[in-house]
Amino acid sequence: MTSTQARYRPKRVYEILSAAEGSRQIRLSDRIVELGEREYRRYEKVACWLSTTRGVADLSRELEMDEAKVPKLIDALEQSGLLYRLDDAPKTMSGLEFHARFSSVLNSWLLEAFNHPFWERMMSGKGSARLFTGWLIELYHYTKNANRHMPLSCAHAHEKPIKQLRAKHYAEEWNHFHYFMKSLKHLGFTEPQIAASVPLPMTLALSNFMRQAARQDILAYSICSAVLEGTTTDRKTYNPYYDKSAELYGIPKEAVSPIYQHLDLDVQYQHSDLFREILEHVPEMSAERVTTVLNYGHQLVEHIWLWTENIEKYYDVESNPVPRLPFDIDRD
Amino acid sequence: MSTEALPGALGTSKDLPLLRRTATVAGNDGQIVIRHMRDEIRLEGTAAHLFKKLSPDLEGATAIETMATKLSERPERVRALLEQLEKAGVLAFRSVTDDRVLMSGMDFYQLHHQYCDAWLEDVYRHPFWEKVVTGRATRAQVIGFAFEKYHYIEAAFEHMGTAAANATPEMMPHLARHFIEEYTHGDIYRKGLRSLFPDDVILKSQPLPSTRALVNYLNETAQRNSFAYYSGNELLQMTENTGDEKAGGAVNEFYEAMRKHYPYTDRLIDSFVAHTRADQALEHENAFLLMCKSVPPLTRGEVNDALNVAKNMAEHLMLFMDGIDTFYEKFPTVPRLPCDLLSE
Repeated sequence: MTSTQARYRPKRVYEILSAAEGSRQIRLSDRIVELGEREYRRYEKVACWLSTTRGVADLSRELEMDEAKVPKLIDALEQSGLLYRLDDAPKTMSGLEFHARFSSVLNSWLLEAFNHPFWERMMSGKGSARLFTGWLIELYHYTKNANRHMPLSCAHAHEKPIKQLRAKHYAEEWNHFHYFMKSLKHLGFTEPQIAASVPLPMTLALSNFMRQAARQDILAYSICSAVLEGTTTDRKTYNPYYDKSAELYGIPKEAVSPIYQHLDLDVQYQHSDLFREILEHVPEMSAERVTTVLNYGHQLVEHIWLWTENIEKYYDVESNPVPRLPFDIDRD
Repeated sequence: MSTEALPGALGTSKDLPLLRRTATVAGNDGQIVIRHMRDEIRLEGTAAHLFKKLSPDLEGATAIETMATKLSERPERVRALLEQLEKAGVLAFRSVTDDRVLMSGMDFYQLHHQYCDAWLEDVYRHPFWEKVVTGRATRAQVIGFAFEKYHYIEAAFEHMGTAAANATPEMMPHLARHFIEEYTHGDIYRKGLRSLFPDDVILKSQPLPSTRALVNYLNETAQRNSFAYYSGNELLQMTENTGDEKAGGAVNEFYEAMRKHYPYTDRLIDSFVAHTRADQALEHENAFLLMCKSVPPLTRGEVNDALNVAKNMAEHLMLFMDGIDTFYEKFPTVPRLPCDLLSE
């Protein structure tokens, strides 16, 4: 590994849009960088090379550029914001400083989590009542499974004020799965049918991931919780999906209103402020802890994307049973 | 204890017939074909006619006597047909209790393999294999595959360690041995990846959420029930190349195609092959057999739990494959570096 490779990393790219004459618009969390076709190809090669064992000579051959000019290119990419120096990261920071940093990337993370084609499909009328129902069933399981991770996070939180905040959150949330049960009953399912059903693997994976976070670090757990709560900060973010789906797929109003009641309750409890309240009790975070916590947050984002993929794939197949029942030696 | 024991001992009165949920029924010209996994039975003439009349009630809630009265049939005739279907494997008699002994560990072993063979079919048919063999997979998908295999194998530390630490007395020696034999295997894959990436990058790389899902499911089950855990892990072991000529040939063909289309993976494939050889030398294919020999007879609840875990594991394995195929296509960054304060 060369010193350049040890010093630089590519910034996370949230979206790449094609623009005129082969140029690209690269969206980072804080800016959009526009590159011409040749610059974009060079940037791609540098970003890929940074994490390899290949030397500078190899890169310069690939770039068809004199080796002496490579540092200048890397410098230009750093200036544009596409690369950053690892050394520039602070060694420690306060909990509130961390929260400010988290808040500045949350929107980009949420856009990444919800950029799955499923949403566009549902909003454009290419979805189905079956997909809407499947999504609701999985939301029921996901909400019920809060009982698998929320109390575990309380058990593993060591400081009194943080324990208290996590426990209060649990007390306010533990039985919210009833709202989804109500919706599903209006879609023709019975309570025993839903209660005996099993979630999709990716729905289960979400709660297993939250359990993993709860055991490792209360801030790792809390950032995941904050990402999830970030989806419900105001009605504008979720109303269009439910309203449009109800209209397009003939979902009865009675099946949608419990969902709104649940979301309104989240807003009322101000659960989206919880992460800041927790971080107020954290005077200092090391760079290593910051990395761990951010990793959990971003992995949760990726979990949401793949969760959506899993739901669409399963419920799109007409012959797949809805709801899913557990294996039974007599019945299967 | 064997499955051939009296119905009472099996926890069923043989009175509540239940057509297996995943059985398919097809019929034409007075003939009916019922299929379940690899079992099949053909009914013709009066048998087909009687089955048609009985089928709405084959949900495990109606007694044979009641069905016969409803259809003005002789109960013996109804029972004879249903027992024939049971023998063919497409129908069962529902049990009311979960806590009676159902079968021995060795009977479970056979049943487990029958089900797992069927559940693994989708994994073997996954489009990702074809993409690699024909050279249509992208660089990110191919290298991503190697990284995800590394993360999965490296996770033996997590789930095998947890399983050994939470094992029942019968399972402990097997799970301890398995952990001790497997915990270095991640390094075999790491060695292959080191031909392309620095060690530090490999060690800090992040698995896909789907790989994490597979590992976490193993971890969670390992904490809860050591036999059910291994029932799931055995399904994963069944996908390894055990030296069987036919399966081995298919795997070699896959590696050859990979070397041809993606020459930079040469040393990665060497590491895959080295891992297969290491596993073959350890004879891991016998591990579950030995466990099944050691455990006390299993109740219906235990059988259902262990088979549910195996089925869920098959679904998680599909998710693992889907993740590599879909995620690396949509997000082609590989290796997946960890976040830090400036990366976002």
